Amino acid sequence: MGDALLCVRGLKVGFPTVDGVVKASNAVDLTIQAGETLALLGETGSGKTVLGMAILRLLQPNTRIEGEILYRGRDLLSLPQEEMQKIRGREIAVVLQNSGTSLNPVLRVGDQIAEAITLHRGLKGAEAEAAAVELLERVRIADPARMAREYPHRFSGGMRERALIALALACSPSFLIADEPTRGLDAVTKHEILALFSEINRGRSVLFITHDIEAAATLATRVAVMYAGEIVEIGPVDAVLSSPAHPYTRGLLESLPARGMRPIPGSAPSLIAPPSGCRFFPRCPCSVGRCETEHPGLVPVGPGHCARCMLYD
Amino acid sequence: MAFGISVTIMFVILHLMPGDYITLYLEGIYVIAPPEVVLAYNQAYGLDRPLIDQYFSYFLGVLQGDWGYSLSYSRPVLDVISEKLVWTLVILLPATILSIIAGIAIGAYSGWRRGSKADVTLLNGMIFLRAIPSYWLALMILLVFAFYLDLFPLGGYVSLSALDTGIDLLDVMNHAALPIFTLFFFSVTGTYYLMRNSMLMTAGEDYIVTARAKGLDDMTILRQHALKNAMLPMVTRVALQCAGMLTGSIFVETIFSWPGIGMLTFEALQVRDLPLLQGILLMDTLIVIVANIGADMIYPFVDPRVEVGSDARA
Amino acid sequence: MPGRNAALYLSLGVVLVYCAVALFAPVIAPFDPFVISGPPLAPPDAAHLLGTNDLAQDIFSRLIWGTRATLILGFLGAVVSVVMGTTVGIVAGYYGGRIDEAVMRFLDVMMTIPFFPLLLVLTIFLRPGIYVTAVIMGLLGGLGSVRIIRSQVLSLAVADFVVGTKALGARDGYIMARHILPNVLPLVGVKFVTSAQHFMLVGIGLGFLGMGDPNVVDWGQMIERASKNGGIVLGLWWWLIPPGLAVTGISLALAWFAYACEERINPRFQVMRV
Repeated sequence: MGDALLCVRGLKVGFPTVDGVVKASNAVDLTIQAGETLALLGETGSGKTVLGMAILRLLQPNTRIEGEILYRGRDLLSLPQEEMQKIRGREIAVVLQNSGTSLNPVLRVGDQIAEAITLHRGLKGAEAEAAAVELLERVRIADPARMAREYPHRFSGGMRERALIALALACSPSFLIADEPTRGLDAVTKHEILALFSEINRGRSVLFITHDIEAAATLATRVAVMYAGEIVEIGPVDAVLSSPAHPYTRGLLESLPARGMRPIPGSAPSLIAPPSGCRFFPRCPCSVGRCETEHPGLVPVGPGHCARCMLYD
Repeated sequence: MAFGISVTIMFVILHLMPGDYITLYLEGIYVIAPPEVVLAYNQAYGLDRPLIDQYFSYFLGVLQGDWGYSLSYSRPVLDVISEKLVWTLVILLPATILSIIAGIAIGAYSGWRRGSKADVTLLNGMIFLRAIPSYWLALMILLVFAFYLDLFPLGGYVSLSALDTGIDLLDVMNHAALPIFTLFFFSVTGTYYLMRNSMLMTAGEDYIVTARAKGLDDMTILRQHALKNAMLPMVTRVALQCAGMLTGSIFVETIFSWPGIGMLTFEALQVRDLPLLQGILLMDTLIVIVANIGADMIYPFVDPRVEVGSDARA
Repeated sequence: MPGRNAALYLSLGVVLVYCAVALFAPVIAPFDPFVISGPPLAPPDAAHLLGTNDLAQDIFSRLIWGTRATLILGFLGAVVSVVMGTTVGIVAGYYGGRIDEAVMRFLDVMMTIPFFPLLLVLTIFLRPGIYVTAVIMGLLGGLGSVRIIRSQVLSLAVADFVVGTKALGARDGYIMARHILPNVLPLVGVKFVTSAQHFMLVGIGLGFLGMGDPNVVDWGQMIERASKNGGIVLGLWWWLIPPGLAVTGISLALAWFAYACEERINPRFQVMRV
């Protein structure tokens, strides 16, 4: 483990809607070391994607954001727009979820990759094109020279995912955010993509956003579990997955097919008016009296392992 | 094909109507039309033959360019119309092209900067402009620019001096300026609306986020990624708008005395020259159909998802 | 955004004022719109607020009475158009298959015939009064609504709650009335307002081309008379301008109203992936 590459402090994100402000992220603290892969686990709607998009400042302009996101010591949230544009793609890149719609349908795939290369690496025309083909080859797309000249609709789901990864790698970013890269892929393709990621991970920090515990176990060095806009447990991958401390993490693991497929009762709380105490309280099997009123903090439960639960307070 | 069905429908509509056009026309001339005149007209226009006969001869006639005989001009309808069509195109084409370019440019910008001051101002301005009836707008433009400011001629297509010197291109352009200007205002709002909506949809697409994540700046994303996608649906929508342009030209040409199909429509209305009106309706339909076919033919070339030569639209 | 509600209520207020004027026309208008009320072509004075036209009719009274024709043309046309559009659209979209195919083919053909020129030809033939004109406009203009409603219904017809209700054994008529109709109503409402605006402009346009009902006063015929009989050349603004302003006013109010409603129904608030 090296130094902290990215440090999120007290991040709050709110989306104003007609019904009220959706608090998608509530005082999130997170540190990512150089070279490590942190898996961010959680259900749909837990705020994982918001966190990833907030780091790149890709949320809608009317979003309310508070807190600090320090990248190599600079606060991304207060950088001027032009500075931020220099960081996007070059320093921090992202593989978006929904690979099916994340490529521009009317531009050739090779051109879309070459565009990033031209922008950040200054290569022009044929050189950028050649670099794009090289990238496609690196993510193992067969016949990359021909496929670079094709439009996205000619690509299969797995190939689009690879193309997006190639695009993200275009300028060798030191930090990569991968948002559900295995979503909607069949089992074989999923394993190929995961294998590709374990290759890419080397020498690079990765924030791997997923709801797939198996994928997290394969790739991550550390795991953070999100629930209703909060990190409820964080720690080394082995510790969190073999001896989960938070009841929610336990519930998640027990809902896996291999461990009995017992779903967590109830549903995720509203993010407009979340429960005042512990956010997991209404669904928690081991809640005690004060869980309803007091909001628990993250407390250490092992070496580098913290959980947000009254049981350890 | 579509044209054939349209012709049929028109024939059906016109013959389902109470009365026939001879009676209608003669009413404009006589208080009570003498029976022998009615008979003569009916024979001349074949109205005494069985309906099915009339239909086939009408249908075949239309296909062969025989669109009937104008009662008021005493000339074949197609002759009269094609002569006027040129003049209509002189103002319609520039107005359409200008409004498409301006509508797409302004609409794209407005939709891209949704909610900004520029967007709100543009949107309100366009709603305002669109609510003004075209005939009223034309009258006001005529009143202000031609009557009070005297910048442009009051109407017509050439000056009186053209009688001696022949038609001068600059002179025609001077006369065409206000009609084009009015038609442009009339149709730019529609294009703007469609483009703004289209851009609103496009701006929310995932690939726009991808482009931002690459580190591209806002205007580059608009130009390189959003514009082309947002313009795709415009190809067919602009073609659909062409019927509205024809309607607009009726008022604009009438008010500016521009000798095109629009003013011909007005004249035919005044004297109830139905064969001529029917011909105009056919011509308008033909223009709409041609515009739509044109759009269908262009589409595969701009959208890579549609292979050229196939009509499947993915 | 601030002012959205203000726009909604202001435009609604303007529409209501027009309705009131139309309703109380006999009370508000000082003269019968058809009688000779003084010298012809008189400029505005205390008795004739907007002067008189070439037939010595009081322009202000004609303006007030003209509101009726405008509202009848717009709202009656819109009712016809929306009722037809909704009924046919729901039936076609709900049953799909052959019915839908037949309706859509018919629409495809009809849509190639330009609305206004066709209306002109029909007007010449039928010489309708304003009520018939409104109905014809409604029928022709409703074709576009059919298409819009149908595409909405198409997705509703396969929505879970509809399939579920069907599985419970509900009759088609019941499903269409109780489950599908309420879902398309907001769209129908907006369509009603925009249609009313459109038909007012078209109806007055007919009057302007001399195709209006000679038995009623409408603003289109007023503009036509004014522009033909010297309103422009003599610069008689009180004759030429007020009817046009009146149309523009109601048209603007309806356009704003429709726009404000649309924003309410469809506030494209996209809460991004959470």
